[in-house]
Amino acid sequence: MPEMSKMKKPDVKVVLLGDMNVGKTSLLHRYTERKFKDTISTVGGAFYLKQWGPYNISIWDTAGREQFHGLGSMYCRGAAAVILTYDVTNWQSLAELEERFLSLTDTANHDCIYAVVGNKADLTDPKAQLSRDSDVAPEDRTECEEDRTEPEVLSACPTPPASPASLSGVMLHKQVAPEDAAAFYGRILRYKGLDEKSSLPAEKMCFETSAKTGYNVDALFEALFDLVLPSILRKRNENQESPTVDLEECRGTSSKRSRTSCC
Amino acid sequence: MSVKAFELVPAVERDLLMGDKARINIECIECCGKHLYLGTNDCFIHHFLLDEVTSSKGKLSYSAQKLLHKYLGLKKPVAELRAASALERLIVLCDGIVFLVDMVTLETVPSAAGGGAKIRGVTAFCINENPVNGDPFCVEMGVLSSKRRTVQIYMVYEDRVQLVKEVSTPEQPCAVSLDGYFLCLALATQYMILNYNTGASQDLFPYNSEDRRPIVKRIGREEFLLAAPGGLGMFANAEGVSQRAPVNWSESVIGAAVCFPYVVALDESFITIHSMLDQQLKQTLSFRDGHILQDFEGKVILASTKAVYVLVPLPLEKQIQDLLASHRVEEALILTEGAQRNIPKDKFQILHKRILQQAGFIQFGQLQFLEAKEHFRKGQLDVRELISLYPLLLPASSSFTRCHPPLHEFADLNHLAQGDQEKVLRCKRFLISYLGEVRSTEVANGCREDVDTALLKLYAEQDHDSLLDLLASENACLLADSVPWLEKYHKYFALGLLYHYNGQDSAALQVWIRVVDGELQDSTRSDLYEYIVDFLCSCANLDLIWKYADWALQKDPTNGVHIFTKRPGSKDQPELNSDDVITYLEKHNQALLLYLEHLVLERRIQKEKFHTHLAVLYLERVLSLISESPKDEEKLTRARERLQALLRESNLYRVQYLLGKTESCEQLLLERATLHGKLEEHDKALHILVHKLRDFPSAEAFCTWASSSRDSAYRQQLFHLLLGVYLDGNQTAAGGGNGDLEMAAVDLLNRHGEVFDAVRVLRMLPEGWSLQLLRPFLGRAVSASMHACRTSQIALGLSHSENLQLLHDRLKERKKPIFVSEKKGCHLCHNTFSEPDVVCLPGGVPVHTHCVAQRVRDSPTKRQLTNSSNHT
Ligand SMILES: Nc1nc2c(ncn2[C@@H]2O[C@H](COP(=O)(O)OP(=O)(O)OP(=O)(O)O)[C@@H](O)[C@H]2O)c(=O)[nH]1
Ligand SMILES: [Mg+2]
Repeated sequence: MPEMSKMKKPDVKVVLLGDMNVGKTSLLHRYTERKFKDTISTVGGAFYLKQWGPYNISIWDTAGREQFHGLGSMYCRGAAAVILTYDVTNWQSLAELEERFLSLTDTANHDCIYAVVGNKADLTDPKAQLSRDSDVAPEDRTECEEDRTEPEVLSACPTPPASPASLSGVMLHKQVAPEDAAAFYGRILRYKGLDEKSSLPAEKMCFETSAKTGYNVDALFEALFDLVLPSILRKRNENQESPTVDLEECRGTSSKRSRTSCC
Repeated sequence: MSVKAFELVPAVERDLLMGDKARINIECIECCGKHLYLGTNDCFIHHFLLDEVTSSKGKLSYSAQKLLHKYLGLKKPVAELRAASALERLIVLCDGIVFLVDMVTLETVPSAAGGGAKIRGVTAFCINENPVNGDPFCVEMGVLSSKRRTVQIYMVYEDRVQLVKEVSTPEQPCAVSLDGYFLCLALATQYMILNYNTGASQDLFPYNSEDRRPIVKRIGREEFLLAAPGGLGMFANAEGVSQRAPVNWSESVIGAAVCFPYVVALDESFITIHSMLDQQLKQTLSFRDGHILQDFEGKVILASTKAVYVLVPLPLEKQIQDLLASHRVEEALILTEGAQRNIPKDKFQILHKRILQQAGFIQFGQLQFLEAKEHFRKGQLDVRELISLYPLLLPASSSFTRCHPPLHEFADLNHLAQGDQEKVLRCKRFLISYLGEVRSTEVANGCREDVDTALLKLYAEQDHDSLLDLLASENACLLADSVPWLEKYHKYFALGLLYHYNGQDSAALQVWIRVVDGELQDSTRSDLYEYIVDFLCSCANLDLIWKYADWALQKDPTNGVHIFTKRPGSKDQPELNSDDVITYLEKHNQALLLYLEHLVLERRIQKEKFHTHLAVLYLERVLSLISESPKDEEKLTRARERLQALLRESNLYRVQYLLGKTESCEQLLLERATLHGKLEEHDKALHILVHKLRDFPSAEAFCTWASSSRDSAYRQQLFHLLLGVYLDGNQTAAGGGNGDLEMAAVDLLNRHGEVFDAVRVLRMLPEGWSLQLLRPFLGRAVSASMHACRTSQIALGLSHSENLQLLHDRLKERKKPIFVSEKKGCHLCHNTFSEPDVVCLPGGVPVHTHCVAQRVRDSPTKRQLTNSSNHT
């Protein structure tokens, strides 16, 4: 057999997870091809190699269909970041993340970062209808009840809001509020056994996007890429198998992390 | 749409294998070099020699020659066959037993003395193609047994097998593959990776092996291909990570293999071929009763129950060309680039370039110019390939021939556009922008002439603004080709520029002149005449100027003369000799005048010849206007003003000569006065002004002018002269005069009183004049005299006080007084002083004045030492 050609080895992996039809493929298209096009429900999975500065980042688009659920763990293995995607017009899609998808991330890196992304914001939010990537700071989420304690961490599944989904003009009723996503983010941290104070805050890691208009899409991916840089550096270090810990490097990366997290 | 990546070629046909025995089925195959082994359901092994035959047309076929067949004596189907060629053994699985047979004789190898050559209770086994143990004379084998939930690792030698390791698994394994220490296993409900050395395991993903037959296929170093739920072909490496996106098979895949860059899979009725580069299904071949698909050293072999086939990959280039032929540019490029590491570097580069160029032409044909351009650029296309598509654009002299085989299917642009003029136009616009971009880059190296000439032709044809820019800057347009083209499109101005660029200024001028004269039509420049004048003006070739200035001057003398007057005086331009120009301009009166004005008035050349010539021309003009009837007074006035101005201001022209010329004309008295003035014949001048013209203001002005650069005495004299003329005239005309000379005299005095010597004037004036009349003059004279008197008194006083001040200062300087008395003696003569006048030597020593004088006379060098002092 001839030597099989290997593709460019990615430095780090980012995985898109979420129920079918929430728009994972569309988000990736929007980011990589800068357009919104017709999709078919993803079969198996697909990935895209993104050049980010000197690094190669592989972004895996997984299939949300139940049938392919079993492959999720494998896709997540060694992931540096996981994008948990739901559909803001569909309460169930957020619930599914917690019920079905969160456990798939067990195989991800121990320092994996998690983003909770509510897609299709254009359907509920007039400002997401502007067809540009919003660079404004995420809205103030002071109401986010970060200190709300959930007694049963794993079964703390959000309950649907009382008011039924109604159509106001062309705007769909938003079924998932940003606070719900933030609360879910909090539960992810607890599920991972992470201390909320030393982890990235919910305001930074919860996004509302629209693959259709491009709203917040670049911001999402770019924020994540910046945050996974330390992971890349660590991986490169490991590959060099240096027996001593390079304090400079550690300090460098940690300061980088804090820097990226403030803009 | 599909690619033709593979061809199915029969290898062993049904007849050769079983003749007419209908119930014999192929169960397994092994291929090792040219040796093909088949295991059948009737417990036979068949051995064939498989030869590749290439027909004269390059078509590949196989000829199989049966060498041997052997009954294994177990009455059960032969389930698995594996060659261990270094040992010359076949490893056979039949009836749950693994044993060895000789590759040549197919005889079962008897057990060696020390150990068995048989393993019982086996359901499946695999060979490690990448063993950690490097011993070439043994083969590592992974074995699954029917009863235990374990995997056993055996070493297979020539005549024995040896268990080296046994690892247990969480469930019953049903398929296995081995690479290094890594076992990739299909268990009942999932796949997993198991390191038999460390015991570490990694779950891959769930899979129900009872529902669907699992596939565990090693495809390369530490990488496996697995059948996944939903009919997927999943890739997994030894770390349990998927590094490639899965391919989408049907649910019922039986076997799979990788033949880079393709994944080949077999189901009940089809062979499907997916690309690993983009996960797309590329080819489907129908294949009935498919049973086995396996790859052996890169060769993919398939078997139905009755016959064997080889899946022969088409040469990569052929596949790429097929893709291009169906305009699948992206796929063709992916395939090309994906094959980079399988092809030697230099060969790849050539191939890649060519594919990029072809891709570019396909996109060009689809009018996707942006993409086309990018591919042309990356593929370093010889631009002439593109230019040659456009009829007649390449110069006739170009040595270019299109590349063979051709890069595209188009004969030319018309063929491409199929008569659609809009398309043609868009293609032309594209070429214009493309050539414009590349002409100054290395792309145009070696074919600049072709590129620039093509561009010129397009610009001319499309009436493009940049035509002139192209020709006005550095370019390599070929004259022979461009001239007829520019003529065809009536781009005569551009044609001139081209001639000029090629050093044929005369040809350029001839074309332009014909345009201005209306013989040729080209509206590029409405100011072409001025352009020609400018051109001649800065023309370095004097012959051209002499040749074409005539035309320009006839057309428009005023502008035409700019050829001579606006000539920039730069160093690299030969100077025009003014005399030559004047001679040349002889027949162009007006231009000559303008030229002389330029020399005399603008450049202020101080040459008598030019000044006289100009004055004469002015004069002649005035004379001719005078002789006209009716007279154009306005013109005449202007002409005379000019003449007068020149006569007044220039000091170089020949005055007598001009005076002679004016004598005949009684109307030019003023001019004559000026001329007399130039000769300092002031009395004559004033006579004319006062008596003939009776123009007193002019007479006054004359005085002012004629004395303007002289001292005040001269001026005074001149004014006295005028006064004299007035007064004398008054007396001689006493009877008939109406007193206007008198009035003129009074006015003169009253206006210019300061010039006159009042005393002399008073003596000259007739007795009878009233004081009242001269009051302003006298008033000013008296006050002037008073003023002078007082001013001098003040000056005197000031000088006096200054003198005193100085004396005072001096005294202070000395500090003490110098005493002189009758008792003191002079240091020089030693006599006593009798007078207070003494001279002090430095140091305040008083001596006699005459002694000092004496001494100074004796020694002239010391003259300076003495200081006169007047002290007592
Ligand atoms: N209005 C709106 N529609 C969207 C948006 N993103 C995706 N969609 C639509 O949602 C549907 C599903 O999108 P996909 O991107 O295929 O969803 P997916 O998450 O990849 O689904 P699976 O591949 O089955 O897991 C498509 O019809 C999209 O057009 C969005 O931002 N706004
Ligand atoms: Mg999808």
